[in-house]
Amino acid sequence: MSKAPIFGFNEHREEIVREVVNRVVAGTKDSLLVLNDAAYHETKRLETARRPHDVKEREEWRTLARSLGRMGDGERRRRLTELTERYAWDVAGNFNPRVYSLSKRLLPPLVTSLLQPTMFLRKPQELLNLDVLKAHVSIEGPIAKIQKLVQDGTAVFVPTHLSNFDSIVFGYALEAAGLPPATYGAGKNLFSNPVLSFFMHNLGAYRVDRRLRHNLYKDILKTYSCVLLERGYHSLFFPGGTRSRSGGIERRLKLGLVGSAVEAYARTLIAGKERRVYFIPATINYLITLEAETLIADYLSEAGKGRFIIEDDESTQLDRLFTFTRKLFDMRGAVVIRFGEPIDPFGNRVDDEGMSHDSRGRAVDPASYVKNRDGEVTLDATRDAQYTRELGEAICAGYESDTVAMSTHVVAAACFHRLREIAPAQDLFTVLRQRDVLTVPRDELARDVSAMREKMKEMEQRGQIRLGEHLRAASGGDIVERAARSFAGYHTARAIESRPNGIAIVDPNLLFYYQNRLAAHGLGWDTLAPPGMLPAVPVQLRSVGSPSTTSSGAAAAEGKTP
Amino acid sequence: MSQTLAKKHIGVLGGGPWGIALATAAARAGAQVSMHTRREPPHHAGVHVTTDYAEIARASLVVVAVPSTVVREVLRALGDHLDGHHLVVHGIRGLSPDGLETVSDIVRKETPVRRCGALGGPVQAYELLRGRPSAMVVGSRFPEVTAAVTEAFHSPSLKIYSTPDIRGLEWASALVGCVAIGVGYAQQAGAGPGLLAALISTAVDESAKLLAMAGADERTMLGLGGYGDLLASIGLADRPEVIIGKALAQGRSLEDAVTDAHLRVEAITVIPRIVGFAKQHRVKAPTFDILAEILAGARPEALIPRLFA
Repeated sequence: MSKAPIFGFNEHREEIVREVVNRVVAGTKDSLLVLNDAAYHETKRLETARRPHDVKEREEWRTLARSLGRMGDGERRRRLTELTERYAWDVAGNFNPRVYSLSKRLLPPLVTSLLQPTMFLRKPQELLNLDVLKAHVSIEGPIAKIQKLVQDGTAVFVPTHLSNFDSIVFGYALEAAGLPPATYGAGKNLFSNPVLSFFMHNLGAYRVDRRLRHNLYKDILKTYSCVLLERGYHSLFFPGGTRSRSGGIERRLKLGLVGSAVEAYARTLIAGKERRVYFIPATINYLITLEAETLIADYLSEAGKGRFIIEDDESTQLDRLFTFTRKLFDMRGAVVIRFGEPIDPFGNRVDDEGMSHDSRGRAVDPASYVKNRDGEVTLDATRDAQYTRELGEAICAGYESDTVAMSTHVVAAACFHRLREIAPAQDLFTVLRQRDVLTVPRDELARDVSAMREKMKEMEQRGQIRLGEHLRAASGGDIVERAARSFAGYHTARAIESRPNGIAIVDPNLLFYYQNRLAAHGLGWDTLAPPGMLPAVPVQLRSVGSPSTTSSGAAAAEGKTP
Repeated sequence: MSQTLAKKHIGVLGGGPWGIALATAAARAGAQVSMHTRREPPHHAGVHVTTDYAEIARASLVVVAVPSTVVREVLRALGDHLDGHHLVVHGIRGLSPDGLETVSDIVRKETPVRRCGALGGPVQAYELLRGRPSAMVVGSRFPEVTAAVTEAFHSPSLKIYSTPDIRGLEWASALVGCVAIGVGYAQQAGAGPGLLAALISTAVDESAKLLAMAGADERTMLGLGGYGDLLASIGLADRPEVIIGKALAQGRSLEDAVTDAHLRVEAITVIPRIVGFAKQHRVKAPTFDILAEILAGARPEALIPRLFA
């Protein structure tokens, strides 16, 4: 396997930063506008700052803003160049091959120790046993094909994002799948921890300061990403932008950095060194999510616009992490990373040889998409933004079909469906108020769950979803049992509880979070469709033999809010 | 205007009245035009007629003007000759019977082309043929497509407007076709200007809501490609949809009405599907419900007053 370009990053770092600075400065038509925008946003951000360093920075921005009008264009250009240089160096990462080979050995035990901290203390020798990790993180998808494609092309990994755990787990997955490391933008806050910073910095991560909102900084980030892609650096973006608050898969993406791929590809063509770019969607699926409670509370308080009152406090993070990892370690197959089918930047499927094919299977040259009517390759930001939009749709479609459903999701969806039937009104917040008012007999819930699973098997046949191993094989009762056990040990609020007369539905919020994973598939209640998108058509779930609910189920679906 | 600049080669698919009108307008505006048709080609100045898709594919801008019933097969066949650099626009007023796909959805499915657009607005075939002043709308998210269409068709007698909301334009064109049947029907049934205006406004309002449900911008229905297009139908006694509406109001059968119109009217298959779509998404669309009843053979006098009940 040829060495990925990232191994030579340090030699080229200066060159890369130069290139970024030159492009950004040359591409800026109106330096007054750009500097003004930066000064405005920075002054606003630092408005209430108290730290001496921040106060000093604010005053510098104010001075700049005041003097911009009097400056000559030459002076403005000089200031623009200075600023761009400062930001570009701040963004640029580092890749230390020694740190990488060290971490290659350290990473599995590191992830293992995160998954099972007590093991550190009890059986340190087990840490080096990869099988332990394999049992808990499974990796699926067309891996041989991806391995082949990264030989000559540039891979852009675009996974779903649920948890802060994702980057660690995905980094492990790349390594375990025999794929080269990928560079990625990591929040600057993560660099404040010296140990983490050392690893991140030396593993090709670049720093993204999320506090900076101005266009110059965004432009620098995009250009940096573009230059790296042009040079063949495999990259990793979480195109959802932030962790999914609702627990649902991403259905609309933040495409800024993703969009740099089309330009990067066009530039390799113009330079006469075509280097193809392959997008690889992936899903990161958890039986339980570390931050589920915080995230769903966040989501509901925003969606409900004040109608929602957060009732429970979170316990301390360290405590939670510890319990979480122990819980996960209890369950086999609790984390599944599924790589999807690679596509080119124009949404076409890619075969083993790296050839693109349109939706009717015809071979098509990806270069043709960046050519104008005269057959010349051109750079065109507006055009590329449209390609990227459509690419985003293709990536989201991949998320849907590569979602790996687990028992917690299915049981949550079944419970939530029951809850909707007994709720006095059909709006989300009324349903969410039904705390601990419904207990479903075990065998009825088991029947609901296995009916849903059968539907999902049909959907899996049609390539619309994937089933986790346990979910595919277990009985309805066992699926309910596994979900109950998964919820029980970790979340402070119990989602469901096993009682003598059946399964009590205790915390609708958590169930809402977990059922949301299946909302886009029409298996859960879809209240998440982004503006301008129709909610998923509900899949008819009820098994024929369940007497109590057929009619009220239909009524519940009828009353659904649009 | 840079009339002296050589205009580029464009390909037109379809030799029906609309295809011929578009080809003629482009030729008049100075483009080199190839037209694909299997009909006996009438001679038109500046239009080269062919039965070879490969020749159409030599043009970088392809305009599709075939009936919506055959558009899928035609695009599939043409798609073998296209690649990602082609720009494809269509002037088809219709939505697919299976799932209400727009024609541009079908372009993306059946060809490797991504840069597509749609034509709409009040312009009539005879206006294009005779060079009478009129206005056309092009919808595309790709500015290159808008520019290419403008370059190909813009002339002193034809003004080209544009919108990025291609989906909205496609839906608006299809819905206007449906409502135009209602306009003809009401006119024949003796509706005065006030009632006609009320009918049109109600229908536009319903259509705008339907557009929003279809993931388009509802304002597109209020523009030239929606309201504007519909207004033109009032004065157009020979618009095929209007002819059908009038024939139906006279108590003639749907088959006879279609024969009267001489042209394929996409709206006839679209109306029942729109009614289903509205029901599915809980949008109230009484105008379309009544249109569906009229097509199904109902002729009660009380239909129009019922609209305002």
